[in-house]
Amino acid sequence: MARVLVQLKLRLVLNALRSSTAARTSFILSTFFAVVVAAGVFFVLSLFRGSSASVDLTTVIFTAFALGWLVLPIFAFGLDGTLDPATLALYPLRTRPLAVGLLAASATGAWPAANLIGLLGVLVGLASGPLGLLVAVIAVVLQVLFCITLARLVTTSMARLLRSRRGKDLGVFLFIPIFALIELLGQVIPNAAAHGGITAAAFAGVDAWMRWLPPGLAAHAIQDASHGRPGAALARLALLAAVIIVLGWLWVRSLSRALVTADTSTGSSQLRGAALPLARYGLRGAVAARFWIYQRREPTSLVYWAMTAVIMVVVSASTILGPHQHPAVVIGSAATGAIFVGYFHANSVGLTGPPFVIEALALTSRRSLRAYFSGQNIALGVIAVPLLTAISLGLAFAVRNPAQAVPAIAVALAGLGAALGLANILTVTLAYPMARRTGSPMRQAAPGYGSYTFGGILASLAGVGVAVTPVILAAAFTSTAPAAVRAPVLIICSAAYGLALAWAGVQIAAREAGARLPELCQIAVQSTA
Amino acid sequence: MGEIAIEVRGLRKSFGAKEAVAGVDLEIAAGSLAGLVGPNGAGKTTSLSMMTGLLRPDAGQVVINGLDVWADPVAAKAVIGVVPAEARLFERLSGAEMLEYAGRLRGLPAAEVRSRAGQLLDVLDLAADAKRLVADYSTGMRKKAALGCALIHNPPVLFLDEPLEGVDPISADVIRRLLTRLTGSGSTVLFSSHVMELVEQVCDHVSIIDQGKLVATGTTAQVRGGKTLQRAFIDLVGPRASDEEVLSWLGSSSS
Repeated sequence: MARVLVQLKLRLVLNALRSSTAARTSFILSTFFAVVVAAGVFFVLSLFRGSSASVDLTTVIFTAFALGWLVLPIFAFGLDGTLDPATLALYPLRTRPLAVGLLAASATGAWPAANLIGLLGVLVGLASGPLGLLVAVIAVVLQVLFCITLARLVTTSMARLLRSRRGKDLGVFLFIPIFALIELLGQVIPNAAAHGGITAAAFAGVDAWMRWLPPGLAAHAIQDASHGRPGAALARLALLAAVIIVLGWLWVRSLSRALVTADTSTGSSQLRGAALPLARYGLRGAVAARFWIYQRREPTSLVYWAMTAVIMVVVSASTILGPHQHPAVVIGSAATGAIFVGYFHANSVGLTGPPFVIEALALTSRRSLRAYFSGQNIALGVIAVPLLTAISLGLAFAVRNPAQAVPAIAVALAGLGAALGLANILTVTLAYPMARRTGSPMRQAAPGYGSYTFGGILASLAGVGVAVTPVILAAAFTSTAPAAVRAPVLIICSAAYGLALAWAGVQIAAREAGARLPELCQIAVQSTA
Repeated sequence: MGEIAIEVRGLRKSFGAKEAVAGVDLEIAAGSLAGLVGPNGAGKTTSLSMMTGLLRPDAGQVVINGLDVWADPVAAKAVIGVVPAEARLFERLSGAEMLEYAGRLRGLPAAEVRSRAGQLLDVLDLAADAKRLVADYSTGMRKKAALGCALIHNPPVLFLDEPLEGVDPISADVIRRLLTRLTGSGSTVLFSSHVMELVEQVCDHVSIIDQGKLVATGTTAQVRGGKTLQRAFIDLVGPRASDEEVLSWLGSSSS
């Protein structure tokens, strides 16, 4: 069984190589990154040699790897055909050999190999003496085995959920903290490193509780063996092995249950109100209501709003965290927020996907198309205006210059108008199908349409940039005017200017869309909902 | 034949080198319940998409109730209802919200839409699931919801692509009766299907399409020519491959 499943895994990998250029490129890139990670982790771990905090840092890295194995299957479900027990449920297989086979299949591939090779960096960084080296090899193998068993247990016990709508939603929502973490770390780490805040010694003691987790047991066993405490090392390894056995036992149990459990959705709850809001406001109201509901219920939409907020904060992060204050950066944050609101909604037909056909059947006149685009803008504006205003205000306080909130809000309002109007035009002129690629929770441009995404962001950047320039100039020229007069005039004028831009966008988009509805329908149909 | 409700002339569509629809001519009388049958990939969905203004044809004309779909799409779309093959619904709306949205897109007053949506959900046996998200509906439930969306504005001409696929027998019977009632009141229905028994049972007009061309069209009795529709269909389209000799091992008790 192990051989068959390992062969299956290798066959899946080979098929990826033989299929489309996109799949081949992604496979080659993934292998390349695996090699980089293996070499990088090996190098980093070997650097800890002689450091006072080497065991602490090794523990952190071991734990980070385990965490990666824990989270990745939630994203990658469907990427690896051997991950889902349901695909094997039809065959007459006994649980135990199946478990061994699945484990072997898990250990096959570039990433498990990269994991093993990278962690062997402890042979240089942490281990010393023949016993230390021997224990290090055993500890690394056990650590990798722990990671694989943990990942398998998570995937198998969550398989039913991950196949369901809610599981897929969960995968999308996980995108938010990971995106925020990456963006903020990108700002925080260079900042801290620049001020000498990051040294190996600063990590001493961070593993106070991590040392008792299985990855910590592996790291500390290596240190114990290297420092002449073979008894303690053996006890830690035995404990780690016991944890792996328990996880394995739980996994086999969960596997035998998963093979005979109905593959149904997790049951769905009833919504409270069934009526569509804004009933009195005709087609515009109906479209606004539909878009408004989607902003709340569609995970991708929620992720887009969260990403907009994170990006706005990140633009100002260096000023908030660093010693140098550039309060005008808040205006940059506001403009960036508007740019991303525009970019995220610049392909509304592709985002709506196949159901756009229902809308297209009713969008019969220029008037109805105007109502469609303005309804959409109303729903997005209802969220974007308070969101961008609140973040601009918060950032102005965070940079200790509340007065900057006024030009920032003015830029946000004008920028949003431009962004939404431009998004309407781009929806018609630069529409492209969206597809959900295996392994990615978020929908992306379908293969071959990557340049359209780039065009969308470029157009949004240029359009909003040009549109907010007069507002920034007006704010600069009036900076000495009394705040009580300047603030309301600047904000009201910018809001009116933004509304005019959005209105112009709606007009142009409605005129262009009339002739292109069948083509837009085809793009919608090619998209994944 | 009475007044013509659906008139198709010289309809063509190619995707690259493949000619999906190679010159379809079709006339369906008003009040008719017409079936369009054909093997997989014969061009049924492509033809229906072009007839409903959702796919631009390379050539040809489609006239519905006297309105040219491609010359005057505004007026033509107002008189049709469409149930596509893959129910294209808003997954994050509830069934009730979905029907209400479809009605309001068609310009019906809010109160009227709400009352019609309630009745349709009732008849289609979706009332208990009206407040659940469409994303959690089964294939058959989606099909019924899509039919509700297509019917809510009481269209004089209804197009359905595989309307009974995945629908349970009781709901299928309800849909059958609904369609018969609709045509009884003067509306016209054109639907595509693989299920010959159904087409034979309910349709008064049948067209058989194969490799993008109509190979037979007329009243059900004319197309059947004294045989069952299934037999007539197989005789016209022809079996795809002889499988008896190749799979000689199939059915024996040895493995």
